[in-house]
Amino acid sequence: MKNVIIIEKQYLVQAGIEVLIQEIPGLMLLKSYSGDELHLTGIILKHKPDLLIINPFSLSPENATLPRKIHSIQNMSLVALIKKEALNQLSFGYDEVLFYEESKLALDKKIRHQAGNYQGEEGIPKELSQREITIIKLIVRGLTHQEIADKLFLSIHTVNTHRKNINKKLGIKTVSGLSVYAIMNHLIEMEELKNNLKPAQ
Amino acid sequence: MLIHKNMKLADVIHHDHTLVPIINRFGIHLGFGNDNIDEICRKYNTNADFFVTILNSFHDAHYFPKEQLQLFPAIMLIDYLQKAHHYFMEEKIPEISLLISKMTTEFPLDKTTFVLVNNFFKDYSGELKKHIQHEEEKIYPYVVSLEKTIQGGEQADNLSGQTYGYTISDYEAEHENMEEKLFDLKNIFIKYIPEPKDDKLVFQILRELFGLEKELNEHARIEDLILVPKVKAMEEILKNRKK
Repeated sequence: MKNVIIIEKQYLVQAGIEVLIQEIPGLMLLKSYSGDELHLTGIILKHKPDLLIINPFSLSPENATLPRKIHSIQNMSLVALIKKEALNQLSFGYDEVLFYEESKLALDKKIRHQAGNYQGEEGIPKELSQREITIIKLIVRGLTHQEIADKLFLSIHTVNTHRKNINKKLGIKTVSGLSVYAIMNHLIEMEELKNNLKPAQ
Repeated sequence: MLIHKNMKLADVIHHDHTLVPIINRFGIHLGFGNDNIDEICRKYNTNADFFVTILNSFHDAHYFPKEQLQLFPAIMLIDYLQKAHHYFMEEKIPEISLLISKMTTEFPLDKTTFVLVNNFFKDYSGELKKHIQHEEEKIYPYVVSLEKTIQGGEQADNLSGQTYGYTISDYEAEHENMEEKLFDLKNIFIKYIPEPKDDKLVFQILRELFGLEKELNEHARIEDLILVPKVKAMEEILKNRKK
């Protein structure tokens, strides 16, 4: 999934782009702003959308430096949304420019191009690695990340990363959820878990 | 659609039938005829503005008139939240529990799996219960006493030493943890359950879980965004009175 934020003052234009975004697979609209919100740059930096569609002329004077400030963010497509007549006033290098006057088809094509081809969750293999299976087994036995790191001679940072990947791959975040998964998939036996699990507080 | 108190309640339910449990929480039951919301509320002695605000915040996740809800007395808000708690613990959780144990007994072949799922759900509902008890025994009485003190024009002295003892971030963290467990449970049903013999039953469970999730999110939203700020505002009033 790629997250999208829209900044556009004209309500009808904003609503139109929203509809378009919802029709493109793999894109998810996070939020739309009109451009005069307080601390908008900070808000955008916090959300870090994959795609920012922005009408720079919608920005209030306080937010005017926003495109410049977020331009350096990696892996973010910055797309301008303007009237054709304003093109020569566009002082900034955008990855793409959408025009008010364009047809739905043309806009759709440009946005899809920026979104890239939807290939599902990028780059994460579905199957757990041997290392991850080892770590799940230790997690469901009640070991903390630090204990796992010590046991496997890894840094805590590495264990945290493994855990994050496990959560992502399985779609399961909690220890009790992982326990159910581990037993269902015979990574661990129920009896083993009973003996090793720390009693709940 | 924005719900307005001049609308017929029947039309509202036609539009969004998931609101039925919410109206029940206000003591209003189906079979209310052709009356509009305002008339029905008067009949049931319910504040129609509050009722409509709750319906709207449930119906549309993006609707949130914070200021408007802040105007209602805390006691009205708490009364509603308590009824919602009752609904979760006395109706929803037992219902889902029953469905899950039905699954356990219907598939004796793969008992381990279903025992696990059953235990997982028991854990979850135990945590939910603890969370709710804490609110009802510690937080709500404190909020009520705050409001009484303010209305009575008293000093905060009799409240001193007591604090809310709970910040919005604790609140949110706890809600988040509960949400994660529910999310895991859904995923276990969607992705990892051994091929069920009874699709209907699993679908029923899943539908209940999604419903519970929506209702709990709504509930947490009201607590995080309305109750907590309201309490902070009341504490501020009392602090200033002291000076």
